[in-house]
Amino acid sequence: MSRYTRLYLYFLRFSFSKSLEFRFDFTFRIFMDTIYYLINIAFFKVIFLHTNLLGGWTEKQMMVFVAGYLLVDAINMTIFSTNMWWLPYFINRGELDYYLIRPVSPLFFLGLREFSVNSFVNFLMALTFCGYAIWDLGEGLSFLNIFFFGLLLLNGSLIYFCIQMLMIIPVFWTHSARGFVDLFYAMGQAMERPDRVYRGWMKIVFTTILPFALIASFPAKIFLDPFDAKTMAHLFIMTVILWSTMLFFWRKGLANYSSASS
Amino acid sequence: MKWWRSVVSQEIRKILAYRSDFWVTFLGQTLIQLVVARALWQSVFESQNVTTMQGFTLERLTLYYILAPIGTRMLLGESFGYISREIYDGTFTKYLLYPLSFIQYKSLTYLTNSLFFGLQLFIAFILFQVLYAQTPVSLEMVINLLAGIGLFFLGATVYLNLGMCLELCSLWVDNVWSLMVVLRFLTACLGGGYIPLSFYPGWAVRLMNMTPFPYVVSLPIRTIMGQSTTSEILVGMMMLMFWWLVFRVAVHVIWKFGQKSYTGVGQ
Repeated sequence: MSRYTRLYLYFLRFSFSKSLEFRFDFTFRIFMDTIYYLINIAFFKVIFLHTNLLGGWTEKQMMVFVAGYLLVDAINMTIFSTNMWWLPYFINRGELDYYLIRPVSPLFFLGLREFSVNSFVNFLMALTFCGYAIWDLGEGLSFLNIFFFGLLLLNGSLIYFCIQMLMIIPVFWTHSARGFVDLFYAMGQAMERPDRVYRGWMKIVFTTILPFALIASFPAKIFLDPFDAKTMAHLFIMTVILWSTMLFFWRKGLANYSSASS
Repeated sequence: MKWWRSVVSQEIRKILAYRSDFWVTFLGQTLIQLVVARALWQSVFESQNVTTMQGFTLERLTLYYILAPIGTRMLLGESFGYISREIYDGTFTKYLLYPLSFIQYKSLTYLTNSLFFGLQLFIAFILFQVLYAQTPVSLEMVINLLAGIGLFFLGATVYLNLGMCLELCSLWVDNVWSLMVVLRFLTACLGGGYIPLSFYPGWAVRLMNMTPFPYVVSLPIRTIMGQSTTSEILVGMMMLMFWWLVFRVAVHVIWKFGQKSYTGVGQ
């Protein structure tokens, strides 16, 4: 374990020096994520000009949910996004060889190699907004409640990572340049809406088959609404299933990897 | 002038090279965005217990959210981000050796993609009318549809030049893809891709109308839906031509100065 910790610290060090080398890019990326945050907040502000409740939540409660998914997005942008961007290209071009021969888990190496420093700045912004949204809620919430919400959002990040990997892994078979990553980004919208707006088959899809609603909506529901053991159990079971499925297909994909283009 | 045919056919072959990806992405993106948007608005309509909001019924909003993502894809083309990447890694050199200007080449590949998405837009609209709204397709609808696709296409030429202004900045700075993403966000947000502009406060719409974005997204959609008057379309076309001219001149100026900075490093 300490070997992996040491390795990750090296990843961090390289990522920091690399980020500061491209200063314009570094600034532009912070600007990009800031615009994304502002647009998301504005979106719900405009919706609430025409309604006072959405999915059973008031505007202030909705802002906690928005802060939640912005925080999950920031965590993923910081830790995984750059790695996830390059992974399909590595598979497609046969460049995975370099990572498979190293004496560390390929998933660890390929998933965590690049730490996005600029997104870390945005993570701090999202965290501040989340703090503000919770404070603005004005319901004397205990530190334990807030801590638990944070843990659930971390779990949401893991779910996000698993779904994204499941969209990339088909590249092992399709040999396409991007896999279904573009589809994943389009589906990401499902994460940005409270799960109560989905009904019937859509609710089943977004809470089980493509469980985007578990990423931020379930944590917000557990945080904002009275505790529901069923929701909690659903979240836990789905996390385990997703992680296992992702690992299963990742191993299958590696076994199928032919390094054809290298 | 036969070169353009070769470029177009090469680009179409590229688009269709990964058919499964292409169709899964097209159908998946359109459907997902549609169901998510519809679910949200259905919830808003129900919570307010109304059947119409800002002139939209739920059915009209459904059509809006079919047209918005495909129309936005018409604007984006498929080859965006490539110019800056090619400048960065040095492969841009090849365009300097082609017997046509890189601006002509890039414009043609970009617009081929736009036309392709225009075709998808046409099919999606007809399918919506026949299968969902169960309304017979009238001549007026087809005329509105073609006018809207034409406006989207005109908008694509504006967006192409605006995007190229940003992409050519990579002649001086290392990486500008994040600026392209910002442009995409702003186009969707200020153009009415996320929410129809009639839902925004009046002061915000007045500010947005000072930018090119409502003319490249909202106007074509409203035209297809039969909500634009002839004078609105004409004013919109003039605004699009104005913005096209502004960005075209900017591209020319940036390219004139920028090509001196190009070193072809990385080849």
